[in-house]
Amino acid sequence: MKFMNSFIQFVIEQGVPRETVELMLMFPIVATLMVIARQVVGVKAFGIYTPSIIAIAFLSTGLKYGIFLFTIILIIGTATRLALKHLRLLYLPRVAIMLSVVSVTIFLVLIIGGYFNRTGLASVSIFPLLILITIMEKFIVVQVEKGAKTAIFLSFETLVLSVLAYFIVSISQLRELMVKYPWIIFLIIVFNFILGKWTGLRIWEYYRFREVIKANKR
Amino acid sequence: MLNYLKFSKDVLGMNSRNLDYIRSFNKKRAKETADHKLNSKKILKKNGLKVPDLIGKIETFKDVENFDWEKLPKSFVLKPNRGLGGEGIMVVYGKKKNGNWVKSDRQEVSIQDLKNHILNILEGNYSISGVVDSAFFEERVKILKLFKQYSYRGIPDIRVIVFNNTPVMAMLRLPTKESGGRANLHLGGICVGIDLNTGVTTTAITRNLATQQEFLIDQIPFTRLSLSGISMPCWKEILEMSVKAQQVTGIGFLGVDIMVDRDKGPVIAELNARPGLAIQIANLAALKYRLKKVEGLKINTVKKGVRVGRDLFGGEIEEDIEDMTGKKVIGIFEKVTLKNIKSGVSKEENAKIDTGAFSTSISTDLAKKMGYDEVVKIFDSYDSKAQIRLTLEQAKKLTRELKEKYLDKYDVLTNILIVKSSNGITVRPKIKIKIYIENEIIDSHATVHDRKDLKYKVIIGRQDLKNLIVDPSRIKRKNL
Repeated sequence: MKFMNSFIQFVIEQGVPRETVELMLMFPIVATLMVIARQVVGVKAFGIYTPSIIAIAFLSTGLKYGIFLFTIILIIGTATRLALKHLRLLYLPRVAIMLSVVSVTIFLVLIIGGYFNRTGLASVSIFPLLILITIMEKFIVVQVEKGAKTAIFLSFETLVLSVLAYFIVSISQLRELMVKYPWIIFLIIVFNFILGKWTGLRIWEYYRFREVIKANKR
Repeated sequence: MLNYLKFSKDVLGMNSRNLDYIRSFNKKRAKETADHKLNSKKILKKNGLKVPDLIGKIETFKDVENFDWEKLPKSFVLKPNRGLGGEGIMVVYGKKKNGNWVKSDRQEVSIQDLKNHILNILEGNYSISGVVDSAFFEERVKILKLFKQYSYRGIPDIRVIVFNNTPVMAMLRLPTKESGGRANLHLGGICVGIDLNTGVTTTAITRNLATQQEFLIDQIPFTRLSLSGISMPCWKEILEMSVKAQQVTGIGFLGVDIMVDRDKGPVIAELNARPGLAIQIANLAALKYRLKKVEGLKINTVKKGVRVGRDLFGGEIEEDIEDMTGKKVIGIFEKVTLKNIKSGVSKEENAKIDTGAFSTSISTDLAKKMGYDEVVKIFDSYDSKAQIRLTLEQAKKLTRELKEKYLDKYDVLTNILIVKSSNGITVRPKIKIKIYIENEIIDSHATVHDRKDLKYKVIIGRQDLKNLIVDPSRIKRKNL
């Protein structure tokens, strides 16, 4: 406690949970991780927001149940979409039906979890659940636009990124560091500024364009 | 490895495309023009560029109710105004007796289905960033016979990237079974690189649908249809239209999608202010290098832009074919060097490459100058005697006589033949001569002809072209 930045100390003394403060400070790091994944490495995933928010959700659910729920939600969502496909419904009502089916499924999972005394599952709070449920819409949109295979591939990328971010956020030393020196956020902003001006090839693109580079006929 | 890194700088990556090209050269208003299909259609049409005709548009929910559905023709295309990546496009190609239309995937659509689809479009489900949209009907482009065998259900289009009023790269996009009859690469369509100068296809790619990775292919999957060597129709016109589209819209870094209609010829189907990068793989050529090369050039006319693009970036196909077959590609007119080994005289001449002729022939004048005069004179004297036309019998007899008399006497004389032409029957000598074309050295037996009335003193026949490939579109390249 004694190494805490005085601003942070003040906020915590005012009653804001320490966990909240820490996550607030860690979020820029998670976001930057997504930026690096996209701009430098070339991993697409579902944009920047989805994997970041899933990582935060995982913190609350725990990695085991998080991945379990993530997978279940995507499977149920896809199954519902396929079942509804031939009914030719308008988009929003269709998504609402899918969300309802997923909600009911989660409810069933909680009941089953309670029956088998899986208290970890029962103690999952509502917000991470909602986060996981809402990414289903993103997933369905990608499925419709780019096909099921791409959607599965992108969800896999998203999951990998989220897990990676989860581990980074879990590093207690890093959390301590951010609490001690919240000004690091400004460094992160500068770093993102540099990334924002960076026009080099992404690592993935060195592979993607290998034939072009090899041919180099100009 | 070091070279790999060096050459990779020529490739246009996503970061550079977004920042260096789209941000810098495509102003917001220009981008709006491209994204707004109805708008770009109007601008293009006003400036005399051909586009598919507009049949009708639906902008509000009220329009859906008031629209006269019976007025729709048998075939049409329904598009979202601000659609992205070919999403939400419905192609209808026939009407049934029960009043329903038939889609390109053979499914029937009723008026209710059309209404539903349009409502989805209006709600913005297919539009860029999901904003409210409008829908429109346009005429269905009729597929060219040439393209029919290469495409599945849909219609192929030609993407031309234009920068600084210069076409810099192009590809042909083919709809496939995997892509459900759509030409988009990310749906499984095929992209084929096009040589900018000749308009002939080179290499082709498609994508793995799960990982979205491109890979090179030679043929359309599950067929034996080769994808290279397809010659684009109206190539010059296509390039000119593309450059003009840039001039009238002001989109600095532009992808123009052109379809070729069976009756109307090339029409601009769409404009794209964020052209994809896979075109580099389809062409096996780096785009950034080309963009850098034309940046800053002063190109003030469409014709000049097209010429610069073709000159700078054409010609790959020849190298390709040369790589593949080990044979040099030559045009119809080429500079050749002829050499008489015996006398040592050599001459440089413009030759016509004629795959229709079996053997090579040279004019009597040239033969005389090159030291074949002794041989040629013998036949000249016969020629002047033969003012009276020879009959076939006479010619045969004469040939026999001449062969006995001279064939052993002159080393350079290899044969004597009877030549039938519109002028009657003549007897001509064949002489030994060395021909140098490009890097090829050919030991030829050339017929000596009286070619006074002809433009070319040398005609190279197919007997001497075995190690060369003739490209008729390559006209006098070396002399330009």
